[in-house]
Amino acid sequence: MWNRFRNPYAGLPVLAIVLAVLPLAFSNPYHYDVAIHVLINAVVAVGLNLLIGYAGQISLGHAGFFGLGAYTTGILSGVYGWPPLLSVLAALVVVGVLAFAVARPILRLSGHYLAMATLGLGILISIVISTEGWLTGGPDGMIVPTISVFGWELFGETRWYWVMAVLLLVAVWLALNLIDSPVGRALRAVHGSEVAAQVAGVNTISYKVLIFVVSAVFAALMGTASAHYSGFITPDLAGFFHSIEFVTMVVLGGMASTYGALIGAVILTTLPQLLTGFDDLEMVIFGAILMAVMIFMPRGLVPTLTARLRKGS
Amino acid sequence: MSALMTVEGLTKTFGGVNAISELSFEIQPGHIHSVIGPNGAGKTTLFNLVTGVYTPTEGRISFAGEDTRGMPPHALARLGMSRTFQNLQVCMNMTAPENVMVGRHLRLDRRFLPALLRLPAVTRGDRACREKAAELMRFVGLERYLDADADAMPYGALKRLEIARALAAEPRMLLLDEPAAGLNANETAEIDALIQRVAESGVTVVLVEHDMKLVMNISDHILVLNYGKKLAEGSSEEIRHNPEVISAYLGAA
Repeated sequence: MWNRFRNPYAGLPVLAIVLAVLPLAFSNPYHYDVAIHVLINAVVAVGLNLLIGYAGQISLGHAGFFGLGAYTTGILSGVYGWPPLLSVLAALVVVGVLAFAVARPILRLSGHYLAMATLGLGILISIVISTEGWLTGGPDGMIVPTISVFGWELFGETRWYWVMAVLLLVAVWLALNLIDSPVGRALRAVHGSEVAAQVAGVNTISYKVLIFVVSAVFAALMGTASAHYSGFITPDLAGFFHSIEFVTMVVLGGMASTYGALIGAVILTTLPQLLTGFDDLEMVIFGAILMAVMIFMPRGLVPTLTARLRKGS
Repeated sequence: MSALMTVEGLTKTFGGVNAISELSFEIQPGHIHSVIGPNGAGKTTLFNLVTGVYTPTEGRISFAGEDTRGMPPHALARLGMSRTFQNLQVCMNMTAPENVMVGRHLRLDRRFLPALLRLPAVTRGDRACREKAAELMRFVGLERYLDADADAMPYGALKRLEIARALAAEPRMLLLDEPAAGLNANETAEIDALIQRVAESGVTVVLVEHDMKLVMNISDHILVLNYGKKLAEGSSEEIRHNPEVISAYLGAA
């Protein structure tokens, strides 16, 4: 029966049902708010996992793309009065073009050097956002207008929850499709053995660039959604710590596992909320849990647990 | 018959040392060719040069009528070049059939959007590819591992998996870098038979091998390297009786 783990699509209806019944357990807007943040992070993590988990390329700068997406749509719709749907599209294009432009030189690097280069890129974006106060409001942040789609105003936690839930389902479906295709196998081969991939005819640098851009656009999309949902953005969105959070979600949940990235996002977003009762000890316990998982399950939660279940059957 | 590959004046220098110097030879289509030589003779370097993993310092290489000097490996793959590795290069993050399917990369629909949306064109091609991969795994004798993860397979099976992956591209020329290294006598005999079956199917095979018995048994043509230079060239009978080869490599007879 554990063959089910071999068919990742079996998880999709389960995920859809969970997302559909979850609101029954929500009793106030705060619950919705936490859930929305989980969904935002989950989509980013699913996209980033394509780059880190499957193609084996690290990025410590993806919050930069998240923040750039948020600020591009914020500025275009808030300052220049663009219709938000158009400004969201423009943000995706801006981030996609930027990611494409920097990807080729950056992805010639590997390992620590790639980590440093992406780290620098993320920091660069967040510094520009902080210092160009005339446009971005600087460290004080800026207000972002709400989205309305053909007269239907996307406002309030409930509506946003459903939109984000659909976005997550679509993101997971797309990720599963990609991984189980010639493109996805080429990406995994880049991770498994770059020289073997090249000899098989895979233009490895092009595939790295492709998946870097795709994961950046995933991050940018959720950046724009986050901006229009909360109505207020600050440069922290693009900051270094936010990038590290995204990477931690992927690694904790399990690299090269789409559902792992999802679980990682759930844990990393909700755990700090659950631990607020511990006051000062909150961050200490949070850190200790992360360390314990990585020591005892270095492959991450989901791959380790599914492997154990498969063996147990 | 014109040569499938021509190498002229090939030289590769690493930090002032000539790993390969002034090497010229031809590979005729449809035979089993072997490259032999003592350790450090430059056999693997030669493989890396002709498959585009290294760029030559000097000299010309042409393959299938094209000047391939400086071409990256993925471009050479398009011309019909395929190879295996001395130190295994299997993707341990994938299943065994998926590894073989990677070898078929250039023959599949590689467009991004249809893959992302799982359009029927992609799934149909993938299903055919999966069947082809299974067929190749049977051909190399890996039917037991059709559902296996690559990281759960023993060394000897992984060597065959690399051959299956290389064949999946339907290459014109297949370069095998020590396919029998680390195998016992039984397994070596099986690889021997496999290589002959591959050659019979019309693929030109080029072999780097230490196992002298294997080389002498199956090669139509042998190139002997010593210190990066050509020591001798000819049929296995000629090589066996070449005094220079005997003193340099086979030991006094």
